Amino acid sequence: MAENDERALQKVSLQSNDGQIITVDRVVAERSLLIKNLIEDLGDEAVMNEAIPLPNVNEPVLRKVVEWCEHHRKDPPQTTEDENDSRKKSTEIDEWDQKFMQVDQEMLFEIILAANYMDIKPLLDVGCKTVANMIKGKSPEEIRKTFNITNDFTPEEEEQIRRENEWAEDR
Amino acid sequence: LEDIVNMCNSQQLSFILQLVSPRLKKDPMMSLPDELCLRVLSFIDDPKDLARASQVSRRWRDLVSDDMTWKNLCLKHDYQRRLSEVQTSMQYSNFLRPDPTSSFYQPYSAPAASVTFDDASSLRRPRSYKSHFKQRYLVDAAWRTGGRNITKNITQEGGVVTSLHLTKKYIIVALDNTKIHVFDTEGNELRTLRGHMMGVWAMVPWDDVLVSGGCDRDVRVWDLTTGVCMHTLRGHTSTVRCLKMSDANTAISGSRDTTLRVWDIKNGVCRNVLVGHQASVRCLEIHGDIVVSGSYDTTAKVWSISEGRCLHTLSGHYSQIYAIAFDGYRVATGSLDTSVRIWNAATGECQAVLQGHTSLVGQLQMRGGTLVTGGSDGSVRVWSLERFCPIHRLAAHDNSVTSLQFDDTRIVSGGSDGRVKVWDLKTGQLVRELISQGEAVWRVAFEAEKCVAMALRNSRTVMEVWSFSPPEDVL
Repeated sequence: MAENDERALQKVSLQSNDGQIITVDRVVAERSLLIKNLIEDLGDEAVMNEAIPLPNVNEPVLRKVVEWCEHHRKDPPQTTEDENDSRKKSTEIDEWDQKFMQVDQEMLFEIILAANYMDIKPLLDVGCKTVANMIKGKSPEEIRKTFNITNDFTPEEEEQIRRENEWAEDR
Repeated sequence: LEDIVNMCNSQQLSFILQLVSPRLKKDPMMSLPDELCLRVLSFIDDPKDLARASQVSRRWRDLVSDDMTWKNLCLKHDYQRRLSEVQTSMQYSNFLRPDPTSSFYQPYSAPAASVTFDDASSLRRPRSYKSHFKQRYLVDAAWRTGGRNITKNITQEGGVVTSLHLTKKYIIVALDNTKIHVFDTEGNELRTLRGHMMGVWAMVPWDDVLVSGGCDRDVRVWDLTTGVCMHTLRGHTSTVRCLKMSDANTAISGSRDTTLRVWDIKNGVCRNVLVGHQASVRCLEIHGDIVVSGSYDTTAKVWSISEGRCLHTLSGHYSQIYAIAFDGYRVATGSLDTSVRIWNAATGECQAVLQGHTSLVGQLQMRGGTLVTGGSDGSVRVWSLERFCPIHRLAAHDNSVTSLQFDDTRIVSGGSDGRVKVWDLKTGQLVRELISQGEAVWRVAFEAEKCVAMALRNSRTVMEVWSFSPPEDVL
């Protein structure tokens, strides 16, 4: 118990690729399995004294990721069995996460990349679901508009692929 | 920058917005590595969305055509296994079914198939998950709103249909007027098996062999390809009420004479007589070397086929047993006392009494952790065998449920109200009614892409054959 209390008070410093240092509670940082494993491997001492470098994440993205981890600090730890389950589960996103993900697309994709790199599966999934929800219910042209994508099909290709996919329409 | 924006009027601002907003947009499929793109796609459940996504650009088309995406979708839609194909009372050739112990399943009380194999056609021709999904999706859509059907008159006057089997090759119909009609799966009449002197009350097909029995006390073995009766097996002293096969050479019959008989149908001899019940043997089910029987003496018995002896007597019901299911571990019995009991086949102990029906439980099928029962009260109930509790109570028919079958996706029920209803197994919702309503439905049987119903309509016995296969040119 005492040890747990002590751990709860511990702080960890994270260093973004632009040299900024963000200090957070250890439990918050450990939402990231990358960091959690690092702390286990290197031992408490080493980690407490030095900032953990995250060369793939810049400061604004790291701040967002930390904000998410702070909010979800009490969530049950993820397990590997959840993996398939969560895929099968609905694509609903809770309200706070939805608001959290109201960022520009660049930031959204950066968060997904950071969550993947830092191994924060629930955040990764929230990110991927957010993108998936931006795709759902849209026509190909609407999807192109949503993401500013150029149609690089030839008219013949476009007609062919439209016919190949007709089966899924109007059911 | 902020100062500049502050100086703009609304027209200029909207110009800036038009200029800027596309630049804030980015193609996720270009910004993320393949594995993350596929993860995004894995959260899309509707194939329509995927089909549309594949038309966005070449990059999107290539990603969507990745079979992992479709495998995921197959999983989400529970299309990963074609259990419904294992399900019906059909037999596969050795080529298709290498495992002999699992090569036989009865339609109304099929054991949970532990086999995990794709549908038969994919063994012939390997298919991608995408085409597998597409095929299943179209079949599902046809089950919900489409399908083609034909109707055949079987008799000019009434006539009770006592048994119906749908196999890979045949539709077989037995009547209380001594006849057995054999059709191909499209409903074209192949032949009529004549020989029984009185009503046929039980039958079981195995490849091209059919074993039948009825009021004349004879068990007959037929060659379905020629219509020739190969053996007439005598021994029962009263009506043969139920019949099942345990392998290609062994049939087991249950009779009103209180016995079960184990027949070697190749040599045409009785191998064993199982004696012990005190009244008519109404139903039986086989798994491996074990046969379980339900009797009007209110008990069920567990027998060893090879040893020819009773291993357990399952006592507890207060009234006659009319239906039995057995998956190798659990026995489920349905009784006139309105309850359903679940028994441990190895120990003979009663694990649960499922109550809810208000009348005779005459229909019952077990599959995996699920039991579906139908009663003379017109209701169909779906039970969890893990928790021994009801999952759905369906007010299915105005009168008795006469016939019932389910697979991973759906339940099909027929009632003496003349209706055939298709239900969603998971939600318990009515999907549709299948046939034009008549006076009564005798029997229904279905497999993945086909459904057959025998009904009484305008005082005639009619057969409706429904097909839900997508046309070849669509696939």
